[in-house]
This record gives sequence, structure tokens and C-alpha cells, in this order.
Amino acid sequence: METTVRRHIAWAPLLLVTALSGVALAFLLEARGVSLDPQNLLLLQPTAWLVLLLWAVLAWGFLRARAPAGPAGESRADILRILAMVAAFGGFILALEPLGYDVAICGFALVGLAIGGERKPLALLLFPPLFSLGVVHGFRLLVPYPFPTSLL
Amino acid sequence: MIDFPAFGSAVGMLAGSPEAWIWVVPGLLIGLLFGALPGISVSMAMALVLPATLYMDFLPAIIFLTSVYTGAGFGGSIPAVLINIPGTSSAVATTFDGYPMARKGQHNEALGAALFASCIGVLVSYIVLFVLVQPLAEIVLRIGPYEMAAIGIWGMVLLGSIGGSTVAKGLFAAAIGVLCGTVGMNTAGYMRGDMGIPWLLDGVPTIPAMVGLLAASQLFALVNAKFIVEAEEHRTISLRRILDGGLMVLRHPLSQLRGTFVGIFIGAVPGIGSSIANLISYGEARRASKDPASFGKGNVEGVIAAESANSSSEGGSMATMLALGIPGGGATAILLAAFAMHNVVGGPRFMEQNRDIVYAIILSNFAQAFVLLVVGTGFVFIASTVVRLPLRYLIPSVLVMSTMGAFAIEGSIAGPITLFVFAVLGWLMSRYGFPVAAIVVGLLLGRLIETELLRAWQLAGGDPLYILEHPVAVGILVLMVVSLVLSVRRDVRRRRAQRAEA
Repeated sequence: METTVRRHIAWAPLLLVTALSGVALAFLLEARGVSLDPQNLLLLQPTAWLVLLLWAVLAWGFLRARAPAGPAGESRADILRILAMVAAFGGFILALEPLGYDVAICGFALVGLAIGGERKPLALLLFPPLFSLGVVHGFRLLVPYPFPTSLL
Repeated sequence: MIDFPAFGSAVGMLAGSPEAWIWVVPGLLIGLLFGALPGISVSMAMALVLPATLYMDFLPAIIFLTSVYTGAGFGGSIPAVLINIPGTSSAVATTFDGYPMARKGQHNEALGAALFASCIGVLVSYIVLFVLVQPLAEIVLRIGPYEMAAIGIWGMVLLGSIGGSTVAKGLFAAAIGVLCGTVGMNTAGYMRGDMGIPWLLDGVPTIPAMVGLLAASQLFALVNAKFIVEAEEHRTISLRRILDGGLMVLRHPLSQLRGTFVGIFIGAVPGIGSSIANLISYGEARRASKDPASFGKGNVEGVIAAESANSSSEGGSMATMLALGIPGGGATAILLAAFAMHNVVGGPRFMEQNRDIVYAIILSNFAQAFVLLVVGTGFVFIASTVVRLPLRYLIPSVLVMSTMGAFAIEGSIAGPITLFVFAVLGWLMSRYGFPVAAIVVGLLLGRLIETELLRAWQLAGGDPLYILEHPVAVGILVLMVVSLVLSVRRDVRRRRAQRAEA
């Protein structure tokens, strides 16, 4: 008995490979703009061509995908929690210099705990400052470069 | 090949100097601790303790530093197995199978296998060094840019499809990694892809990018899990199971020996070292395996291949340093600095005139391998408690530690920014079945391949056929093509079988 396989377009991975291939193409054009000397393009140009060729192969596959892209059994809430952690981490990196490493670490530890599902007030109150204290003082002992802090 | 009178003198020297031995355990512990901290490299650990050796005699100073070297060589594998963060760049390939083993609750076995593979790797590499120090160094001198580029491309192709669902995805990921590796100024002086950002002139910061791709991306994916090891009964920490992991190494002697010899050879080549040796050894183990599909999913052979190679590369790089006075990497450069601090000049003359000291250093490293087995087991036992920590605490803590490690390497915000960008890229790519490890390999090897290809191009005056005068390089490239064809054939067969099943 012949079964029909339902096909659909896997938009997310298609967008990802298209974006990465676009960056590769922009990189190639910029490098060609710098110089056409083989010493500039020896590895870069064939690799960028390979990326574009593989984009065509992969895009064809994503246009005719058999299974939904991404991990199976993941709910919308699960994805939102991951995106919240990614956003919190991005915010933490951006806050390091303007707020100081100590405040940024404390804030990210608090938000990270909350996103992870910690609801005990004592844990939320004690862990972030104690952890920041340990990390800032520990890395001050190890790292030869100064890093800006607001309180510690 | 062995100078027996000098050997006797070395034994006498070590037997009569207890101060040389008291530094072994502290050195190993310092190395283990610093190696296990993401962002603190082997060379950084050695640089931190270098000033302390100024007031020691020459032999105890070198034994202390080599103990740190040996300890850090293994220390990097502990976070690689437990949280997918390679503590040092030499432990990248350890994450490929070590972390999947930990996720399955086999963290004890994975760490035990890594420890035993490392100890045996160190031991065998120093035995080879003891017997073949001079011939090995002479072979290394014959390796030119063609051979180096071929080794780099070999590693690339062997690893192009690690854990990915198809060869196309593996090659795409690897090519993206290579492109990232070519950002910045190349050795011919051309600046590309730096987007006007000053710190990108030196290229993408490799270690923060690597930690972002391998670790931070995985931590994002774990946000909805409670523990690294889901099943509570698997979260046990057991000395017996750590030792069982050690026995697994003895059951896979071929993987161990192959990794050890790849490590010695690659480690001896200046400028390549252990960070490449573990990748090539892993790729070779996967290629030679009867069940390559199990690699990347928790195959202990992957851990053995990676760890045996990164540890044995220590012996290889010591051969080049002792016989030629050429440091293979940062760690041996610091050893040479320690030589200089004690008014000793490394190189052929040192080797000729002080063979007894060279043998004493080698003999003390035999002992270090055995002591590491004991000290490392205790250290692993304590470190394994990580699997019992709830992920809601572990994820923000490890992300912060990785960020600080990235800052420690670069000394600026460049490290944390790179970490974040590559963490997001790694998360997205692994989510859609691209092997993130292949990007890491591309990133690590891209710059090396470009530099060596450029040198080869300049030597040949642009004539591509000049490569035919380098049979070793041609041999490696032929091997690479065969390997790629076999990978594609395997991929096509597997897809056909899957279609038939559907």
C-alpha cells in the first residue's frame, strides 16, 4: 500500500540558511571590493561559493520538508521561555559596561532564576547578590584587566 | 636512541631531590582547577604560576610547570563533559560525545574514560618522547605550509558532518565557520569583514565564539529542563562507575592508541598543537568506526579519541621544545620562559649537553601521569556534583561564568559580545539540525588553513601544480577526498533506507 507523505515549507530553517547565505554573499562582495588579489580571496571566495551552492541544496529541501522543523513536543510557552532567556542574556551583555559588572550579574541572576521557575522569595533575594559577590571578587583575583563595577 | 648513562644520572637526580616531587600534586591540582574554569587556558594557568617558580631550583620549577600543564590538559574535559563547555580549546572534541553521555546519566563513565585516556595518553607520549625525541623533532622540521594546510583541510573534512542530519548541513555549518575564521586581517595584509569594528581586525575571538556555540547555545535549549540528567536515579556520583569508565578505555585500545599517536604527531608541529589534535583524532575515530552514526550521541570512543589526543600532544610539543627550542604553543612558550628565568637556553645544545635533565623531566612526567590518575579521580568525583544542581541555578550561573571567562580572554567587552552572538547562532543552528561542532571546527581551522595556503601560494609563486612536489600533502588530500566520497555515499544510503522505512 502506498502512503502519501504530507510536505510543507519549513519557514524557520529556510529563513536561517537564507540569512546566513546573505551574510556570506555580503562578505564575499565586500572582500572582492577590497581586492581581487588571489592572496585575499584564496580561501574566502571558494568557501562563500560553497555556502551559496549549499543554500540552494538546503533551501530545496526546506521547501519540501516532511516533518516540522525544531524539537518535537515543544509548546509555545516553552519557546517563549527560551526566547526570554536569550533576551535576558542579551540585555545582561549590553548592561555590563553601563551598569557595571556587579549590578548586571546580580540582575541577570535574578531574572535567570525567575525564568527558570524559581519562586522562593528567600532564594531570589539571597542567591543573586551572593553569587555576584563571589564572581566579581573571584575574577578580580584571576583576571589582570580591570572591569567596571558600580557597588563592589 | 637512549643515552643510558644520562638516564642513570636522571634517576639519581630525581631520587636525590625530594623538592622536585613535592610540587607535583599542587601543580596537578592547580592545573585541574584552572583547566576546568572556562576561559582560563593552559597557558594562562602556567603564566599565573610562572613567577612562583623564580625562587625554585631549575628542575623543581620545570616539574611544577609541567604538572600544571598535565593537570590543565585533563581539567578542560570536566566542564566539557558536565556542561558542554570545553574548559580549554583542546577539549572541544570531548564535548561531542562527553556531554551526550552526561545527558544520558553516564557522566561518571565519561569522566572516568576521559581521565584514563588522558593519563595513558600522557604516559605513552612521554615514552615516545623518551625514545624518539631527536628523530621526531627532525620530522617536524620537514613539515611545511603545504602539509600544514593539508592537515587543516583533513580535519575540516573529517569533521564536516559531525552529528548533523545530512552532509549538506554539516558542510554548510563548517563553511560558515571557515568564513567566520577568515574575518579580519589575513597574513597578506588584507582586511575583510571587520565591519569597521577595531577588535575584529584580529579576527573573531575564537574561544568566546566557541563557548557561545557549544555551551551557551545548549544552555538556552535546556531552559525548560529541570536537571542536566533528567532521570533522578542516574544523577548518582559513583567512584565505581568512574573506574568503569576507565575500564572502557582498556576495551578500546585502538581508539586510545590512534588518538595518542595523532596527538604526539600533531602536538609536535609548532603552531597546531592540542586544539587541533583532539579534533583530528575524533574525526579519525569516527571515520574508522563501524558505527559512525553513534558518534555525537554519546559514544565513549569519541571521548577516548579526543582525550588521548589532547593529552598526548603535550609529549609531542615537549619534543619540539626540548630538541629544537621551538615552542609548539602557549604552554611550551611559558616553559621556555621558565628556562630563560633560570638562565638556561632551550634547544639542540641544551639537549646535547644536559640530556640527564631532559630525561629527568621526562621521567617526572611518567610519575605525573600516575599521580594524575589518583588526584584526577578525586577531583572528578567532587566536580560531578554539578549534575545534582537544578538547572534554574546552573543556567544563569554558567552563562555568567562563561561571560566572565570571555572577558578574561579578551580583556574587553569584545569577548562577551562575541559569546552572545555565537550563542544565538549556535542555538538556532542546533535547533534546526545543523551540527554546531562543525562551525567550531571551521572557525578553529579556517584561519590556520588560510594562513598556510597563503604561505604555500607565495612559495609556489601562484603555481597550483607545485603541490605535486609535496607527496605527504597530496596523500592527505587524496585521503580527504576518499573520506568525503564515503561520507556522501553513507548519507545517501541512510536517506534511502529512511525513505524505504517510511
